[in-house]
Amino acid sequence: MKSLLLKLEPIIWLLFGAGLSIGTMLLTGFVLIVGLAMPMGLVDAGALDYTRAYSLGSSLLGRLVLLGLIALPLWKGAHHLRSLSIDFRGGDRDGIVGGLLYAVAVCSVIGIVAVIRL
Amino acid sequence: MAGAAHPEAMAPPKKGATRTAPPRMPGSWWGAPRIRTYLLFGATGIIYLLAGTVVLRLVWALGNGPDAWDYALGSLSHPLYLIFHALTFVSLIFVGVRAFGTMMPKMQPRNGPFPPLPAAAVRGLIYSVWALLTLLLSLVLSGKIF
Repeated sequence: MKSLLLKLEPIIWLLFGAGLSIGTMLLTGFVLIVGLAMPMGLVDAGALDYTRAYSLGSSLLGRLVLLGLIALPLWKGAHHLRSLSIDFRGGDRDGIVGGLLYAVAVCSVIGIVAVIRL
Repeated sequence: MAGAAHPEAMAPPKKGATRTAPPRMPGSWWGAPRIRTYLLFGATGIIYLLAGTVVLRLVWALGNGPDAWDYALGSLSHPLYLIFHALTFVSLIFVGVRAFGTMMPKMQPRNGPFPPLPAAAVRGLIYSVWALLTLLLSLVLSGKIF
């Protein structure tokens, strides 16, 4: 597992970097409106009624943004947690921990399915 | 005047094991301010991992139809979700300031054909893109534009 992770390192770092930069930029506005302002009643929930949300999300740009909002944070999160595990003397168990965390991140494939079926 | 001493004059009669202790990390290593910030930066990974799954849940519900979408969107009003999203927002700002403001200005190629830009210019550029994207997404999601 450890040698596989070493071979995949460039791809993992690419996805981690994209998650750190693009993921952060996309999530900020999303969390601000959908996660905080709308549930607290500061923004009218009708702005994201099903018809409008579906029309926004099913456009090509909408699908790309949604995929970015799902996949990039997952990869950033997985790689950062692996790095944190190594910092806490997890070098010996890195193969298992890293493998498990990236397996969770690979679930971003479900995100691709979710976006395609819109 | 005395002559030069023999270089081994003060050596013990028998060579002993070295008395240098192997390096050991102090038990309080994680409490140092710089390390604590670094570890917090890494710990935001769990927030990002969960945030990605929340968006996945919403998109999946959108694909399932109006009832599933309304239920998923309505569930975000639960206090636990609100606390999580407040924590996520703080994490995003922390990661953004650390990555865009501190790390990225130092990551410019030094051997390329162009001289590296001043750190303040890089910082300003990335912060502007971040602010513009956040504003644009906020206006779209709140129904102000499009």
